[in-house]
Amino acid sequence: MITTLNRSVLAAFVLLFASTTLSLFADPKANGKAANTSNSAASTDSYMGLSGEELWSNNCLRCHNIRPPTMYSNAQWDVIVHHMRLRANITGQEQRAIVEFLKSAK
Amino acid sequence: MAVQTALLTIASPAARAQEPTTDGYVTRKEYEELKGQMLAMKKELEALKKEKGQVSKQESLESHAVADVQKQVAPKQQNAESQATGDMHKEVIAEAAPSLAELEASLLGTTKFLLAGWAEAMYEQRNGRVSTFSASFNPLFLWELTPKILFDGRLEIEPSGGGTNVNLVNAQISYLLNDYMALGAGEFFSPSNVFVERFEPQWINKLPDRPIGVYHGVLPNISVGAQVRGGFPIGPTRADYAFYVSNGPSLSTFNARTAGTLDFNSYTDNNDNKAVGGRVGFLPIPGVEVGYGFETSKPGFQGTTFADLQALVQSVDLEITRDSDLLKGRFNVFAQYAWSKVGHAVYDPDGSLGFGPLPLTAKRDGGYAEIAYRPTKLDIDFLRNLEMIFRWDHLSGDPSGLGDPSETRWTLGLNYWLSPSTVVKAAYEWDKPNGEPNENALFFQTAIGF
Repeated sequence: MITTLNRSVLAAFVLLFASTTLSLFADPKANGKAANTSNSAASTDSYMGLSGEELWSNNCLRCHNIRPPTMYSNAQWDVIVHHMRLRANITGQEQRAIVEFLKSAK
Repeated sequence: MAVQTALLTIASPAARAQEPTTDGYVTRKEYEELKGQMLAMKKELEALKKEKGQVSKQESLESHAVADVQKQVAPKQQNAESQATGDMHKEVIAEAAPSLAELEASLLGTTKFLLAGWAEAMYEQRNGRVSTFSASFNPLFLWELTPKILFDGRLEIEPSGGGTNVNLVNAQISYLLNDYMALGAGEFFSPSNVFVERFEPQWINKLPDRPIGVYHGVLPNISVGAQVRGGFPIGPTRADYAFYVSNGPSLSTFNARTAGTLDFNSYTDNNDNKAVGGRVGFLPIPGVEVGYGFETSKPGFQGTTFADLQALVQSVDLEITRDSDLLKGRFNVFAQYAWSKVGHAVYDPDGSLGFGPLPLTAKRDGGYAEIAYRPTKLDIDFLRNLEMIFRWDHLSGDPSGLGDPSETRWTLGLNYWLSPSTVVKAAYEWDKPNGEPNENALFFQTAIGF
């Protein structure tokens, strides 16, 4: 068990190191946005200093190509983003900001 | 003579005046008569004018009076008419508004339903096997009964043998407790296996087949139970979690090849002990996530010598998606490594099954690492839609040493994206089971997400 835990901790550190190293190739704008420590925005289409569009891009692109906002109706986006919130474990604030952006972008 | 002539001259006209003439001239008499008639007509005309003027005044007075009356009456009338019209309008609107709302409600209701999912068709040519076409249709049913309650269920429908195979992949009811926590119950993708949860649909999975290390007995794919999950901010970063309790895996004890392996495909439990597992993830920057998953269980059949055996499955994963100006495009890095351990036991202790006694602490491991690149920042459409993928995946051999050997594969793929969720894939896989002939394979696949 101790050997197993050591292996898992080591693997976690390797992954964390790799992820921060690879971020050197990243878009510096995205990194800058992540470092923004502003509080939750008053409007519903932004959260933690990130706009609904940025949240949509950051979260949805993690797994798959993003679909244009015009692809679904407002009611369908409600359902889809609800479903994706559960799958990607995003917060309720992020969910609402993303939905707001998708509806306004139509 | 002159006087006579004068007299005749004077008299002549008078005489001629008295007598009708026939040379175009009127007589005096006629003149006087005409003059008299004219004067009379003139008098009469003036009288008429005078009379007419009086009548006009009278009429004007009367018309003014009428106008005044009308002015007094019209506003009231208009107001009354406007009021009536307005009331009618309001009545119409009042009647119409709910009708429109009712119409919309009757079209959509308060329940929101979406039929989504994906479909794929594939050709596989693998060394040592018959080449084959395959296809599947995977409808995803999403019902949002309220903004907090969602049902999602998926079927997998594919041709099999001479018929059709229909499999319930997942069916879960979820409830959003608050912004950071959701509850779920039913049949769901195991949170400890991030590939199954997020990358399984074939329009998301970048290669035609799936990594063997996360699909063949090291990690659970589907769990039947209950879960709690969510995400929360940590300063500028975010973390997410999912914990569940479910029916546990079964331990293979009767077959020499598979002794000590965990069977995660039997969705009914074989004892009163339930599996407990979960995953925690951390997102240090947007587009990067690292995670750790686990599941602990007692997989042995109740009432047997294996009933108290403990099994622990663990997994680490990494997901990176970044745009790069340097590389003129987007790259993805996905990796997952899993390992399992079943406590020490003696399989077939009396040898009655023909392979024992076999003392064994069953350990297995497997995983994959994949990198994909798509030149999204190039100006040429065709090149922007291309994507190159390379994957390494591995699965250790069966713990008993008597079953399948370890297997390592390298796959090179090239995709063309027809739309954000429609892709044509081509891939070649170098597949080398340890100590056995290669099972290299060529794939062509098309997948559509809807």
